[in-house]
Amino acid sequence: MQPLANITPLKPAGAIEVRNVGQIFKTTSQDVVALQDVSLDVKPGRFVVLVGPSGCGKSTLLMMMAGLRQQTSGTITISGAPILEPDPNRVGVVFQEASLFPWLTAEENVEFPLALRRVSKDERRAKAQDALKLVGLEGFGKRHPHELSGGMKQRVSIARGLVQDPPVLLMDEPFAALDEQTRMTMGDELLRIWAATGKTVVFVTHSLTEAVYLADEVIVMSPRPGRIVDHLQVSLPRPRTYEMLSGDAFGRMRDRIWQHIRKSA
Amino acid sequence: MQGLGVKAARIAIVVALFAIWEILSRTGIVNPRLLPSASDTLSMLGDLLQRASVRKDLVVTATEVLTAFALAVPFGVLIGFLIAENRYFADVAKPLLFFAFSIPKSIFLPMFILVFGVGFAQKVGFGFFSTIFIVIMSTTTAVESVKVEHLTIARSYGATQMQTAFRVYLPSMLPVLLEALRISMIFNLTGVILAEMYASRDGIGHQIATWGENFQMKQLLAGVVMIAVIAITFNELVRWVETRCSHWRT
Repeated sequence: MQPLANITPLKPAGAIEVRNVGQIFKTTSQDVVALQDVSLDVKPGRFVVLVGPSGCGKSTLLMMMAGLRQQTSGTITISGAPILEPDPNRVGVVFQEASLFPWLTAEENVEFPLALRRVSKDERRAKAQDALKLVGLEGFGKRHPHELSGGMKQRVSIARGLVQDPPVLLMDEPFAALDEQTRMTMGDELLRIWAATGKTVVFVTHSLTEAVYLADEVIVMSPRPGRIVDHLQVSLPRPRTYEMLSGDAFGRMRDRIWQHIRKSA
Repeated sequence: MQGLGVKAARIAIVVALFAIWEILSRTGIVNPRLLPSASDTLSMLGDLLQRASVRKDLVVTATEVLTAFALAVPFGVLIGFLIAENRYFADVAKPLLFFAFSIPKSIFLPMFILVFGVGFAQKVGFGFFSTIFIVIMSTTTAVESVKVEHLTIARSYGATQMQTAFRVYLPSMLPVLLEALRISMIFNLTGVILAEMYASRDGIGHQIATWGENFQMKQLLAGVVMIAVIAITFNELVRWVETRCSHWRT
């Protein structure tokens, strides 16, 4: 895989540091503590999954890493510099299925981040082609989202996230709307893309199986106020295979996460 | 998409209506003085379109309609946008708009004549008034059809406000806005022609009213067909554009 863009990386590219981060939502009646004293280090190139019960603030944490929301306290740095606003050079984002623009074709969707920065048409097209090829959608560029399956739409979203070649990819439940089989396939596809590009990935999910299957590290969070209650190193070898799902090691790790979440349910 | 059969059936109905019209009149089942035949009406229509006075009336009406439209649409879109973007404003204003919308606008026509006199301003004013509420309401619907996910994506890739407006808001709103345009033109045309029929010195609505009063049924019916064709043509044009972007309608 050729690099998609020649950006000068800030050092160390792709490292994420979360230091004592807290988030308080002010409502008219009371202040809600969504996150409390969260600290986390993600080394470049790691695949980290955030899990936890609904409302534990895992998506909020991801939003803050993307610069889409400001924390109330603490700092977040990516590639050595604080994140104060969205920075597409450092961070690509992938959301749930509905985030593609239906009025643009697949390749125009992928080009969108480049079009915002007024990159020339030729360069845009070339980079979009590379990104679509990377996610296995060569030849589907002219289709509109409504002509693509759920899995293909998410491939386009991933291509859009990668088109500027940021060192970090943040994914907020990207496969939640997909059926079980497509979800498994997309998991394998994502691991292939991750291996090919060497990106740092932070991935939020509700699925414990998905978490253990994909991750190098799983971060387990508690319900409100969200805190990190466990940090697992997933020792399974790569490439991950379907057979591992029924293995003892896999089961033990999934149980360990489940015990944390059950306590809080 | 639609079978040829459906289209053929549609054309058959229109042809049949004209045929029945023709037969009723020709056989004298309906008094031809009350209902001139379809063929006579259509040839009268051709005749009218040759007349300088009718052409002038058409131009007058078209100018009034387009002026009212050109004022009501941007103004209504602006107000609708402000309402939709401000939660408090929306809560306050929305029921009031529904109240205003439910009142038949025609009852205000005498007031427009008192304020503006009989003339261009009265027609445009009343056309504007007939149109603005539907434009405001449709625009709020259009703004609400913009998905939060799309706005988040734009923001996370560093879109400026202008880029968000033109690359996210506008295309998101386009299908709903086009429909709004189509429907508001119906209201606008109705408003202006009504104003012309009620009190006017010129305009095609005034002509139609005069033909009716003078019992010139052939001219009256020809005028009806003329307005109908113009209205249907505009409507279909916009609808054609609409279908091209219907697939991203939510």
